[in-house]
Amino acid sequence: MNHLQQEKVSYWGLIKNGIFKENTIFRLVISLCPSIAVTNSVRNGFLLGVAVLFVQTMVNSTVALLRNFIHPRIRLPIFMLIISGWVTVVDLLMQAYARAAYKEMGLYIEIIVAFASILARAEMFASKNKVGAAFFDGLGSGLGFLVALVLISFFRELLGRGSLWGFQIVHTKPMLIMLMPTGGFLVVGLLMGFFNWIDINFYGGKGAGGAGGH
Amino acid sequence: MTFKEILKITANLVVLYVAGGLILAAVYVKTAPIIAEKAAQEKKEALQKMMPDADTIQKLGDWKPHGKLAEYFVAKKDGAVIGYVVQTFAKGYSSYINILFSVNNNFVVQQIDILHHAETPGLGDEITTKWFKGQFHGKDMEHLKVVKRETTEYIQAISGATISSRAVTKDGIKKGLKFLEKALKGEKQHEPPTARKG
Repeated sequence: MNHLQQEKVSYWGLIKNGIFKENTIFRLVISLCPSIAVTNSVRNGFLLGVAVLFVQTMVNSTVALLRNFIHPRIRLPIFMLIISGWVTVVDLLMQAYARAAYKEMGLYIEIIVAFASILARAEMFASKNKVGAAFFDGLGSGLGFLVALVLISFFRELLGRGSLWGFQIVHTKPMLIMLMPTGGFLVVGLLMGFFNWIDINFYGGKGAGGAGGH
Repeated sequence: MTFKEILKITANLVVLYVAGGLILAAVYVKTAPIIAEKAAQEKKEALQKMMPDADTIQKLGDWKPHGKLAEYFVAKKDGAVIGYVVQTFAKGYSSYINILFSVNNNFVVQQIDILHHAETPGLGDEITTKWFKGQFHGKDMEHLKVVKRETTEYIQAISGATISSRAVTKDGIKKGLKFLEKALKGEKQHEPPTARKG
């Protein structure tokens, strides 16, 4: 991530970077588990995306704020503390003050703790940058995750149920396989290939590569 | 690593974790009573919704499906019994599903509601849809059966979530109904026969 530290990058640039150049799912290839597990309807994908966007932004800001107080050798346990702390706080606050929203999103909030993408951004960016930059990086990669999930779930719900956000659009017999994990792998793979194809043919890139993670 | 460094790292870890723990404890202390109060309120409303005609819903006792504490109630209108509400837990695909259902005096299911579950988002969580819950209305013991085709006679499984559908139907409601019948038989011996009107 050296190019980000050396250049003076605008906040808008950081957001764009999170959505396109370092898109969590299509470019970095991490957090693939949720990208398949909860994308069988647009509503699910969107809600998880919003939850991740919020947690990512808060975690990034907190890590950047505390970066000078964290010994490098124990940074990972501290990041995990910050992530699980934020998730628990959000979970409790929503249960107490926003129960209607909690009923919709509670399931998603609780599973964020284990997302590789949150930890990855904290390690790659937030721990080396100022609070402002880390905030916008969190916003960008959160938005990138949201966009990716909505895109995947758009195809899966349309083909698997013939509907979008619960509204029936096509009235033919749907392809049930698209709702199963199998369909998730297919859609994620095809979309990733599509973005690689654009990157290689139009921007001279080398395509996505990542260590993977869930 | 020098001894000094080890001390530094330990102190660093301890301070941050204690701080994190204190923040969490503070939030918990502040929110826990509100959460408990709202949950109790919601349960009351959920009970009333199960039996909209009832003017009083009285607790009859506790029972323990899957070792979890659940309650069952009698619903009365003008002093006469009009039905029962039973809370139960069913073993689903990835969680215990907390279910509430109501029956009339003939043990025909009136309404069901899912109070809490952690089934797969997008598949198993369709047990909370109106369509799925609505299927249970008017079903008696014999017709509480999940089938994988279109049906109005039985319960139609959610595509891709047969386990969750079956859990709610068989492990949840059917078992709850069996328990209720047994519990009432035991109780009836102590009660005067006029207490239950057909």
